[in-house]
Amino acid sequence: MHDLARHLCDLAKQRGAAFADVRILHRRSESILVQDGRADKLAAYADRGIGVRVLVGRCWGFASADSLERSRGEQCVQDALALARASEEFVSDPAMIADAAPVVAEDRREPQIPNGAMPVKEKIARLLEYEHRGRAVGGDAIVNSIVNYSDGIREEVLANSAGTLVRTASARAVTTCMFVATDGQILQRGTEHRGILGGAELLRQVQPDDYSVRAAEKALALLKARPAPAGRFTVIFHPSITGLLVHEALGHNAEADGVWAGQSILEGRLGEMLAPETVSIYDDSTIEGAFGSYAYDSEGTPSRRRPIIEKGRLVGYLHSLETAAKFKASPTGSGRAESYDCRPIVRMSNTFMERGAAAPEEMLRGVDRGIYLMDGHWGYVFVQKGQFICHAGQARMIEHGQLGDALRDVSISSMTLDTLKKIDAVGSDFEMKMPGMCGKEGQSAPTDCGGPHVRVGDVVVGGHAAQ
Amino acid sequence: MTSFSYLELCMDCTRKAVGLGAEWCDVAAGTGRDIAVSIEKSGIKTADAGQGEDVGIRVFIRGGMGYASVSGRDPRDIDEAVRRAVALAKEATPDPDFKRLPAPDPAPEVEGLFDDSVAGMSVEDVVRIAVANIEAGKALEPEVNLSGHVGLSVGEGALASSTGVAMETRGTDIFADIEALVKHGADTGFFYDFDFGRRLADCRLDAVAASAVRGARRFLGARRIKSGRMALVLGPLASYGFLGGVVAAANAESIQRGRSYLCGKFGEKIASPLLTVVDNGLVPRGVRSGAHDGEGTRRRPLTVIDRGVLVSLLHNSYTAGKACTESTGHGTHAGGISPTNLRPALGTRPASDILREVKEGIYLESGELRADPASGDVSVSIDFGFLIRNGELVHPVESAMIGGNIFDLLARLDAVSSDAREEPGILMPTLRIQDVQIAGAE
Repeated sequence: MHDLARHLCDLAKQRGAAFADVRILHRRSESILVQDGRADKLAAYADRGIGVRVLVGRCWGFASADSLERSRGEQCVQDALALARASEEFVSDPAMIADAAPVVAEDRREPQIPNGAMPVKEKIARLLEYEHRGRAVGGDAIVNSIVNYSDGIREEVLANSAGTLVRTASARAVTTCMFVATDGQILQRGTEHRGILGGAELLRQVQPDDYSVRAAEKALALLKARPAPAGRFTVIFHPSITGLLVHEALGHNAEADGVWAGQSILEGRLGEMLAPETVSIYDDSTIEGAFGSYAYDSEGTPSRRRPIIEKGRLVGYLHSLETAAKFKASPTGSGRAESYDCRPIVRMSNTFMERGAAAPEEMLRGVDRGIYLMDGHWGYVFVQKGQFICHAGQARMIEHGQLGDALRDVSISSMTLDTLKKIDAVGSDFEMKMPGMCGKEGQSAPTDCGGPHVRVGDVVVGGHAAQ
Repeated sequence: MTSFSYLELCMDCTRKAVGLGAEWCDVAAGTGRDIAVSIEKSGIKTADAGQGEDVGIRVFIRGGMGYASVSGRDPRDIDEAVRRAVALAKEATPDPDFKRLPAPDPAPEVEGLFDDSVAGMSVEDVVRIAVANIEAGKALEPEVNLSGHVGLSVGEGALASSTGVAMETRGTDIFADIEALVKHGADTGFFYDFDFGRRLADCRLDAVAASAVRGARRFLGARRIKSGRMALVLGPLASYGFLGGVVAAANAESIQRGRSYLCGKFGEKIASPLLTVVDNGLVPRGVRSGAHDGEGTRRRPLTVIDRGVLVSLLHNSYTAGKACTESTGHGTHAGGISPTNLRPALGTRPASDILREVKEGIYLESGELRADPASGDVSVSIDFGFLIRNGELVHPVESAMIGGNIFDLLARLDAVSSDAREEPGILMPTLRIQDVQIAGAE
């Protein structure tokens, strides 16, 4: 495949491209859905193809085909050149590419249990065990249970006209579970997710007590919880909510393509103090086995740890080859493409806040009335406005420095820069267990996020009733 | 389009699967061609094109389901996918609730789903639409930062099954979605707009940026508000998301499995009598229209909520078999259930009258107002909203949220407008809900 990739780069160059890169990708995965005691849906997916990106004059062109045939690849080169030429006269912000040294490398991350080596029957048995253990916690109160698992491998060849040739193979496995419980009046659900850069060994690593049992217990606890109050509160974030904060509120704003496009509240703020000195935030794709890790990005740049905020100060953005050229910065290995039919765009990997010095239990002290937000579910951000939203699956009231009533799931909304400044305690603990697929411009990328417990003064909580 | 017969490919795969032991099988295959031009910083950023084919094979053995999909048209890959789908179905747990796949029920294709003028567009044509938008946006606001996409897709496909379903479809889609960011000093206004359709003549694609810019200007000067209970008026875009969430909760599988807040509500009053919502996949030129669903079941208009009462659930062949009823034609080929074009019944007074009566409230121009699918609890951000005072929009709001429960919101709905935004197949009226908890940051 690498000969074909090199040939297509050369062809693009011969036909007038100032720069070209070619991605040849092959993905295979399988999934199992266990529901209400049965292995309900078993599925297999495979795709392969070629993506060709060219820089002609001032514009990019991109074309893809779901075939590894030489003639289809050559047609992609032709199409990509024509697309760039058709658009070039209307470009107001000329495309650029960093003058990075060529990288020639191969990296194969074989899972401990190779793809397909664990029989489907064994996987099903393990998933049914997870489900059974979760159901046993709630008995008849559990009305629906789902345990999902998928694993897959991704083989990629990346070549560019500067001489880069990177061959990678990586595997990922992920499992999610959901238990729905009822007291006869209302329904509540509890979920858990686990994911690794690896294979079916995930099913041996994840123990029911720390996974499905926890999810079922959450659903049952929520049946007894009351709706959260509405208004402004001092809040304490569980590490999963801290993860959503650093990913949604800060991380997306630190993606340099958005910064360059004038769509980030971090534009022009490099070097500024954005948070107290106790706050440091990193994006790191080198963490062994973490769901968002990789050896090389989709442009062939080696993986690395990327400081975003250090001791409260904004110190860097996440860069692709293009944004590095525009900002006269070093590429950070953050150019990721979901598949062969996608252009690389700037993405996060594993994003986290570093642990601080405060003992988590001490954070409650001095909070007269607040809310402890747990079980990060989801979040999103409007980078243009600097507004973010996080949803917590569970919460607890804080009254006079003590944890009080259990609260149902609730969302918070705030402005990124305000929230960072209002962090007044960073915990000495750390957890990163939020594997998921991050969406941007129609592409999804595996990421993880986390951090310590964090206390923030004054956040708007979207509860049901007045304080 | 291509001269290759996807129907023959589907029928061939079905025969092979049955030969390998499939008791029931259906196969969908097709090809698509896409062009997308992206806009960034009020200029053209890139032009992308892609062409792909895929085949999806679904097999049932003793009710257990195996599914395999593969891209491209390599016969070895496709044969392997057929074998894998059969092998996985054999591994799945037998499911006595599975009854049958749909029988053939031919119907003429809905009119207006394919447009030669879209299929014949070149990348230069798409670039011209993008440039027209940029120019129109900048004419209104020279310093505006526009971003977004203009694109099209042209597809054809087929579905065949072991029950004798054999059908071919083709369609076109064209769209523009553009975001506008306006900065006046430290103040930021941001909004978006879009247009889409099956046919070029149904769209005004070059007017999207100007609309987005006008919207962005309106969102300058956002301010915090106090918490309180007040009226909530949902503009057309917000009402579409709100009603879409309720109809999606009427998914029969979620209800049969006991995980939807609509469990036990079939035939019950769930909303104000002012609310009637029809799901109609047969609207000519509709973006979600088609004579059949993804399993080959013939579609028909379906009243989901009738004057506040939940009168229908959305079924595919599996859930219909389990409930001993007919599929409503909402099945997807991968086994899911999906709504089509939503058409709420309109009220008697225009949106302007409904707004004018509000003494204090929030106008939600756009944004997710969705409930937790199990509990029905609502806790969402007001992403694009205004404070209403004495019938007028006073200013945009920031850092404010809506809390409550879906049934309270549906019961307190007291107005549906007589006018609505219409996109091909879809109607989006204005709704008003009284006495909603708003959390503010002031």
